[in-house]
Amino acid sequence: MVAALAVTGCGSASRTDSPSGDAQQNQRKLVVWDWKSGEPAAADYIDKAKADFAERHPDVAVEFVAQPFDQYYTLLGTAIQASKGPDVMLFNGGGQIRDRVDALLPLDPYVAEDRSRLAGWEAFTKDGKVYAAPVTLQGHPIYYNKTLYEKAGLDPADPPRTWNEFVSGCAAIKKATGAACFALGNKEGIGIQFFLSGLGSGVLTPQEYDDWIAGKRDWTSPRVRRIFELWKEAGDKGLNSKGANSTAMFNDIFRVFETGEAAHIIGLMSDIAHWRDFEEFLPPDKIGVMQAPVVTDGSTPSLPYDGGIGYAVAKWTKAPELAADLVRSLTSTDALTTFYVKAGAIASDTTIDVGQAGPAVATITSEIKAGKPALHVALSSKTLDVMGRLSQQLLSGSTTVDEALEQLAASDRTG
Amino acid sequence: MPTGGPSPPARPADSERAGGAAVKQPGRRATRTATRQSFRRARAERLAPYVLVAPAVLIIVALRLWPLALGVNFSFTGDGELNGTAVGLGNYLELAGDPLFRTSMRNVGLLVLLLPLAVAIPGLLATFIYLRVPGHRVYRSVYFFPAVLSPVIVGAIFNLMLGYDGPLNSVLAVIGAGPVDWLGDPGIAMFTVTGVHVWATFGMALVVFLAGFSTLDASLLDAARVDGASLGRTIWHVIIPSLTRTIQFVFVTTMIGMLTSMFGLLFVMTSGGPEGTTYLPEYYIWHQQGQLNRPALASAASTVLFVVMLVVGLLQITLIRRAGRQD
Repeated sequence: MVAALAVTGCGSASRTDSPSGDAQQNQRKLVVWDWKSGEPAAADYIDKAKADFAERHPDVAVEFVAQPFDQYYTLLGTAIQASKGPDVMLFNGGGQIRDRVDALLPLDPYVAEDRSRLAGWEAFTKDGKVYAAPVTLQGHPIYYNKTLYEKAGLDPADPPRTWNEFVSGCAAIKKATGAACFALGNKEGIGIQFFLSGLGSGVLTPQEYDDWIAGKRDWTSPRVRRIFELWKEAGDKGLNSKGANSTAMFNDIFRVFETGEAAHIIGLMSDIAHWRDFEEFLPPDKIGVMQAPVVTDGSTPSLPYDGGIGYAVAKWTKAPELAADLVRSLTSTDALTTFYVKAGAIASDTTIDVGQAGPAVATITSEIKAGKPALHVALSSKTLDVMGRLSQQLLSGSTTVDEALEQLAASDRTG
Repeated sequence: MPTGGPSPPARPADSERAGGAAVKQPGRRATRTATRQSFRRARAERLAPYVLVAPAVLIIVALRLWPLALGVNFSFTGDGELNGTAVGLGNYLELAGDPLFRTSMRNVGLLVLLLPLAVAIPGLLATFIYLRVPGHRVYRSVYFFPAVLSPVIVGAIFNLMLGYDGPLNSVLAVIGAGPVDWLGDPGIAMFTVTGVHVWATFGMALVVFLAGFSTLDASLLDAARVDGASLGRTIWHVIIPSLTRTIQFVFVTTMIGMLTSMFGLLFVMTSGGPEGTTYLPEYYIWHQQGQLNRPALASAASTVLFVVMLVVGLLQITLIRRAGRQD
C-alpha cells in the first residue's frame, strides 16, 4: 500500500505542458501532501483555502493528497530522494522540518507580509531562513479545574504564582475533594516532556532558557537539576495521580482530569488534549489556564509553544511563486479562522477573535506574544527516549537525579 | 524443504511411458531412434527435478535469502549521516553496549525460564478435560476462546482489568491487599504481560494436548486405576511418558510464539515500559527503526534475533528427531 501511495503521489505530481515554455504560465495543477485534509474537522478549512486560492488563480487546479500520518515522513523521504513529488507539503515544526530543509524552498521573500500576523515561525526556521508558514501552534499550558479550586476555598480567578503556593493549594484541594494535584500519565514516557516544558520557565532564568533552546544546555546547572528534583518530589509527595507509570498519556490521563480526579494537567493547545477536548465534561468557564508557578527566583514564566504544523514548498516545484501563493492561502486569516472554529486548533494567526471560546483560550492567546519555544522540543528524539525511561525510574526510585542527569547529558552530547 | 518432493514420483511414471513407446517402434532404425529418444528422455529426466524445484527455490532465494543477505549487509552500515558507509561491527558493538538491548535479551532468557510453566498449564488443564472432570465440555470451548482474540483486543481488555484503579486492584482492596501496579512496576510488568500472553494463547496448546491424548492407550490408564494409583502418580508415570512427543512439540511452538508474537501485547500494554523492562528484541527493532530512525541498527538487532531463532529452530529439529528415534 505504501508503494502504491508513493507511486500515485509521484505520478500525480505537477507537470508543465511544455518544458521549454514559461513554466509559471503553463502550470495547471499544484499537488499538496498532508495528513490533515482527510480529517472531517479540517474539511472546511481546506475548502476555504482552496476558494481563496481559486479566486486569485482560477486556472490552476489544486489537488490535496491526504497521506496516513504514520507513513507520512517515510513517503516524503521517498519523494525527496527522487526530487519528485508534491509542490506543497505539510510539516511538523522542529526536527521534522529542519532535517529536510535541503529539499525545501526558502519562503522569506513570499511571506514577508505575513510575518507579524502569524506566530510560530521559529519552529520552521533554520539558519535564519523560513521554510514553512505556520498553520497551528502547539504548546503546553497548565490547565486547572476551577470547580475543584472553589470547593477547596481557593480563588479560581487568581491561580497560585509560586511553587509553594501551588503545593499548599494542592494540599487544600486534596483535603477538600480528594483530588490529586497533577493528572500524570507517564506510561509512554511523555509525561516528563510536558512537565519539563510546562514548568521549566518557572525554574530557569530567561538567559538559561534561551541558551537551552539555542543548544547550549548545561545539565550540571542547579536550576536544570531543580526541574528533575521537582519531578521526583512531585512523585514522592503524592502530588501525581496514582499509577502514573502505568497510565497512558494518550488518552487515559485526560479522562482523569476531565472527571475531576486531579486538579491540574499540563496538556496541549491544538488538536487533542486541549480545552476543546476537556469541554466534553468540564464547562468552558470552569477550565482555567495558569502560568508556570515560580519555583526559583529570577525566572520569568512564559507559555511554552512552537509552530505546530505548517505548509512548505518543495525545491523541485516548477512554479515556486504559485506554490508559495497557495501556502499563503492556506495561512490566510479566513482559512485559519475556520480551522480554529471547526477543529478547535489554536491557529498561528494572532488576529483571530477568540473571545467566544471561553477564558482558557483567551488566556492562551494572550500569552502567545511573550511565549517561548518548549524546552523538550529542542532535544533529539534519542534524548527524549532516554529521558522517558529515566523519568519512570525517578518515579519508582530506581535511579537518582544525579545519575539521570549524567545519562541525559551524555545522550544530549552525542545527539 | 519441498525440494526433493516432486521428483521421485515423476521418475517411474516417465520411464514407464518411455518403455511403452520403444516397444511400438519395429526394426533397427526404430531402435536407433528409440536409443536417441531415450537418451533425450534420460537428459530430460535428469533436468526435470531441477526444473520442477526451480520455482520454489527461486521464490525462497528471491524473497527470503536475498533480502536476508541484504539485511545482514545493511547491518554493517551506518545511520543518519553515515547512511550507506560501512561501519564494520559498529552497530553490533552499540547493541552490546545498549542497556535496552541487553534488557530485551535478558527478557528472552526469562521467557525461556517461564516456558515450563507456559507448557504445564495447558497440559494440566488438558489432563483434567481428558479425565472428564464435571463440565469438561464447557471448559474445552471456554479455554480455547481467547485464542481467537487478537493481541490488541486482549491487551486492551487487560489494560482495563489491570489498571491501577482497575477491577483487579478493587478486588484486592476488598480482601485487604494493597494495590499492585501490574503494568507500572518494573519488577512485575514483564510477568504480567507474559501471563496475559499465556492466557491468550494456551488454548492452542490445549488442543494439541487433547489431540495427543486421543492417541493415549486407555488400557494403561485403566490398569493404573485398577492398581489404585493416585492422580499425581497416574500423571507422572502414565500420562507424561505417553505424551513425550506432544509435550516436546508444544514446548517448541510455545517458545516460538513467545519470541515472535508478543509485540502486539507489549505495544498495547506497556510500550516497552516501565523503565524499558518489558522490551523484547522485536519491540526494540521496531522502536529503533520506526521511532528513532536507526534502520541499520535495527537490522543488526534483527540479525541477532535471527541467530537466536535459528538456534531455537535447530533445537526444535534435534528434539523432534530424538523423539522420532525413541518411537
